[in-house]
Amino acid sequence: MSRVRRPPTWRRHATMVVVCALMLLPFYWVLKTSLTGENIYAYPPRLLPENPHLFNYVDVWYLIAFPRFVLNSVIVTAMAICGNLLFNTAAGYALTKDFPAKRWVVLLFLSCMLIPFQATIIPAYLITSWLGVLNTHLGIALPLLSTIICIFIFKASFEAVPRSLIDAARIDGLSEWRIVLRIMLPLSKPAIATNVILSFIWSWNAFLWPLIVTRTQEMATLPLGLARFLSVLEDTTGALYAFVVMVLVPGITIFLMAQKEFIRGLTSGATKG
Amino acid sequence: MNWRAVLTHRFVYVPLAAAVLVGAWNLHVAANADGVIEGVVRDGAGRPVADADVIFFERNFVNYQEKFRARTDAAGAYRFENMQVHVGQLEARTPGGARSQRLQLRLWFRAQHTRADPLVVGAS
Repeated sequence: MSRVRRPPTWRRHATMVVVCALMLLPFYWVLKTSLTGENIYAYPPRLLPENPHLFNYVDVWYLIAFPRFVLNSVIVTAMAICGNLLFNTAAGYALTKDFPAKRWVVLLFLSCMLIPFQATIIPAYLITSWLGVLNTHLGIALPLLSTIICIFIFKASFEAVPRSLIDAARIDGLSEWRIVLRIMLPLSKPAIATNVILSFIWSWNAFLWPLIVTRTQEMATLPLGLARFLSVLEDTTGALYAFVVMVLVPGITIFLMAQKEFIRGLTSGATKG
Repeated sequence: MNWRAVLTHRFVYVPLAAAVLVGAWNLHVAANADGVIEGVVRDGAGRPVADADVIFFERNFVNYQEKFRARTDAAGAYRFENMQVHVGQLEARTPGGARSQRLQLRLWFRAQHTRADPLVVGAS
């Protein structure tokens, strides 16, 4: 009986380390430039930072309204996460039920995913205007309150819960909402984590919609602040990159904290037939 | 509730650690933000220079502009108060026309209590 020969572990690990290093190189370069402020086009490029310091971060904090931008981003992101959890849970649970034209509803959702956001900007703007929430946190968060991908993540997660468990809960007298809150959601932690992370990343990085819907600098979020910073301070490479790092750090931290749940949430249901 | 398990969960201790760091930093800022920038002016031989003007140049978006002036006492010491800045340059000028090199100041926070390096006038 012949055995399949696998390459040695150290070789696989060495390959992974090299690939990781290549993928992390741009992040390292951003971090290095934020600590030195050196010209990114300098030749030959220096791999190690020369005289690193943190004063570029201090400049960012004081030269623009950074705390205000952070506050706006945090409020909008918190709204988007809460909205996603509420609406996607409800929609995902509804899609696990049998109802007339369910197939058409699923098809409608899937076909809506094909339409790029840029194509729906004008109707979205008009709706936001009719609701009277232009230039408000709610207005910025509105299109991000529910996303179709996350609805399907919840649907896949809910469908993995045994039917008998739900039937037992119903016999015990639990209402539909309590079944969702007490049974479905505790068993769908990876889906919740995925929802939180995806809605966080999308709302934290959103640029086009906040650009359209905000009218004053007081309502600007971090990506808008970054664009404004670029237009005002062209020559301060170090401060610009420090700003980029300050925008990136919360997202990366949350991803690193929840990466296990995130990967599980995205892959649970991926192998279902 | 198992508090130990709650506190050692990464979703708790990471934000908690961040909050503690931010709180400690703000306490440090509050304790040291009196807006004083002080220092001494010396000549090339290391003797204090009296009656020299020390000029603080504040950075705007493009360059540095003169913003404040102080005069040194008999010991060559100068002192700026209520300085709400975090970056700037200092230069000393004597009545005789000698100047020091501009000293770059970069502070960790606005109005930080700062003791600047000596400004040396007339040094070759």
